[in-house]
Amino acid sequence: MDIAFAQLDERVAKFVLSGASPAFANTLRRAMISEVPTLAIEDVRIYDNTSVLFDEMLTHRLGLIPLKTDLRRYKPKDECTCEEGVCPVCTATYTLSVEGPGMVTSSDLIPQDPDAAPAEEKIPIIELARDQKIVLEAHAVVATGKEHAKWQPTVACGFKNYPVIVIDGNCDACGMCVDECPRGVLETEHGKVNVVEGRLELCSMCRLCEKACLAGGIGAEPAIHVSADESRFIFVVEGDGSMPVSEIIKRALQYIQTKSDDLVEVLTEITGEGADEEVSY
Amino acid sequence: MIPVRCFTCGKVISPAWKEFKERRDAGEDPKQVLDDLGLERYCCRRMLLTHKEIVEDLNPYQ
Repeated sequence: MDIAFAQLDERVAKFVLSGASPAFANTLRRAMISEVPTLAIEDVRIYDNTSVLFDEMLTHRLGLIPLKTDLRRYKPKDECTCEEGVCPVCTATYTLSVEGPGMVTSSDLIPQDPDAAPAEEKIPIIELARDQKIVLEAHAVVATGKEHAKWQPTVACGFKNYPVIVIDGNCDACGMCVDECPRGVLETEHGKVNVVEGRLELCSMCRLCEKACLAGGIGAEPAIHVSADESRFIFVVEGDGSMPVSEIIKRALQYIQTKSDDLVEVLTEITGEGADEEVSY
Repeated sequence: MIPVRCFTCGKVISPAWKEFKERRDAGEDPKQVLDDLGLERYCCRRMLLTHKEIVEDLNPYQ
């Protein structure tokens, strides 16, 4: 199994995973979306709200604000030893106190821990008119995307198979497939149809080129064939700013490793000693 | 109020609203504005394109 990065920024990563099964690629995708924990506002104590939004709509908006998350610092609530449910180990506290007129943004949300500040500063929460007021205290906890989408560290996160385009010798370079391709993957050169260098990964495997080839009267079979490589996957992972994308990928892989180790352990327990020999990796 | 995130992909789109509204009202092509704001996917683009602000209409009734 091999990972080759095409792009790795703070917010976006694009990479090709090769030598893996579709099941593993999907496991990685699901782990990144729903098994990497982040901070999100869960409980809000509202002291005053005279804005046009109801309390629950206001808290819903607060919950969706991405918060910078240092997972070495915060523990999920069920792993925390505190009894009253609010302690600095499992909860980040924020206060918001604004009077209108004006726009309340995520930068008005004052964190007790500066490392857990909102990931973006200009997220509008509510527009206040004159004499309107919001005073509240918010508690953010660590949980996973399995529970609610607000705890997902990723926004668009997905993969597709690596496209394989084969052009047969009977291609007459009529150029109809080149005109048809919506992604501009193909070109005609020296009386032959080619894949434009560096654009193969953009192919969406729509097979419009195959149809265009048949419409061009080549015969019963098209001269161009588009198929999917079943063991290579193009991933796009976009983070919401709560943590760098590289950390999301790392933590997702760690999660898969722990889970599979646990499974082996359980299997050993059920089948008795020496089960390790039967399990082949 | 403009939703905080895109309904479909979850990208935080609300900070882009102010600039989008100002530039659209100034007569710029919405396509160009959305491209400048870095909204690539059509799910995020429709969030801004189809939004109608009603907070100001509600204010007198509080």
